[in-house]
Amino acid sequence: MPHDHHDEDAHSLLPSEPALRVKALETILVQKGLIDPAAVDAIIDQYEHHIGPQIGAGLIARAWSDPAFKAQLVNNTDGILSDLGFGGRQGEHIVVVENTPDCHNLVVCTLCSCYPWPVLGVPPAWYKSDAYRSRAVREPRQVLAEFGVIIPPEQKIRVWDSTAEIRYLVLPMQPAQSQGLDESELALWANRNAMIGTGLPQPPVKT
Amino acid sequence: MTNSKMKPHHDMGGDQAGPITPDRPGDAIFAKPWHKRVLGLTVAGGAMGAWSIDTSRFWRESLPKTDYQSFTYYEKWLAALTNLFVAKGFVTRDEIINGLPSGPKQPRHDAALDADQVLAMLAAGARASRPELTKPLFQQGQKVRTCLPDATKRQMPGHTRLPHYAADKIGVILFYHGHHVLPNSNAHFLGECPEPLYSVEFSSADLWPDGLAGDVVIVDCWQSYLEPLT
Repeated sequence: MPHDHHDEDAHSLLPSEPALRVKALETILVQKGLIDPAAVDAIIDQYEHHIGPQIGAGLIARAWSDPAFKAQLVNNTDGILSDLGFGGRQGEHIVVVENTPDCHNLVVCTLCSCYPWPVLGVPPAWYKSDAYRSRAVREPRQVLAEFGVIIPPEQKIRVWDSTAEIRYLVLPMQPAQSQGLDESELALWANRNAMIGTGLPQPPVKT
Repeated sequence: MTNSKMKPHHDMGGDQAGPITPDRPGDAIFAKPWHKRVLGLTVAGGAMGAWSIDTSRFWRESLPKTDYQSFTYYEKWLAALTNLFVAKGFVTRDEIINGLPSGPKQPRHDAALDADQVLAMLAAGARASRPELTKPLFQQGQKVRTCLPDATKRQMPGHTRLPHYAADKIGVILFYHGHHVLPNSNAHFLGECPEPLYSVEFSSADLWPDGLAGDVVIVDCWQSYLEPLT
């Protein structure tokens, strides 16, 4: 539909219906002393500016650079995340799953949209879409192809459906071209989709 | 598919669906300003401690099918959050219908989240693990059969985290995660009833007519979702 992306912006100064509903609910909650708008602002600030995939990318880069850290990240995930200050809401129980030449990992939540928030931030729209939730468990290779990732037939795919409070983080294989780079450079290769499994590490786009 | 007539609309694993639209570098984290407001209100509302994540999920799933299918993601969150505030007696139906509070400004509620508590609240999270009460029934590598989703519910209409596509299937215990709060009861305020939680691996070929034998799907299952294979 041609107006899909514009129906809330064009032709009218009135806010969209859902925007008005949120405003009405917040007004009621604030008036009743149930919600402090400053607390809502502080939560938004965290997820908009602080908690995001750069945290996960830093962990992956360090794991690629330091085998001892990698062992800790895989075997004592909650402990090391807590020590580093990266535990918390929607990431209380994280399991790191490692890609190998024999196995590629892909993460989905078919029942809702569970996702490791403390290390990746809020999930992107496609992760929460009906199409991804429906198809990732059944035809992961076709789904990956839509993200431009072709998995050879000899590499098996493990799809992790996040049905409990365990959150999965993919540890991608380090690309050969990135060998020898330092951690801060490597962190630019470990993109968000690579940590979900719908992507592979890529050289950073030059700006 | 097993029991497909009863499959609820939120349980969509394996459904036919169209192409996926990946995002592009530079896309906003929140597509609309009101999206972030819904997220903030949902997290702040949850921090009051009047309901668990299991209850939140149950209320989102319980939206009427036409709403669930037509609402965008954050509209579902908003609708479920509004219903929960009413169901728990914090807000009245009339206030929601009128879009206005019914009385004068009230003092801060004891359970309301303060701005200076936000960082600590996010960092603490809410762990679902509980002390091990009993030894796990199943061992790593053991074959198990999953129940039907309705058989795991504690009341009808109920809540379960066993997807239909993985129901009445044979899988293998991959990991034991200790005891975790059982969503099936906790969603309805019927107690945490912690149970052993396992990651169970299924061959894609056993789940789907067109599944590849080498590929697998892993589903986290509470012990009461599983039966020993005899």
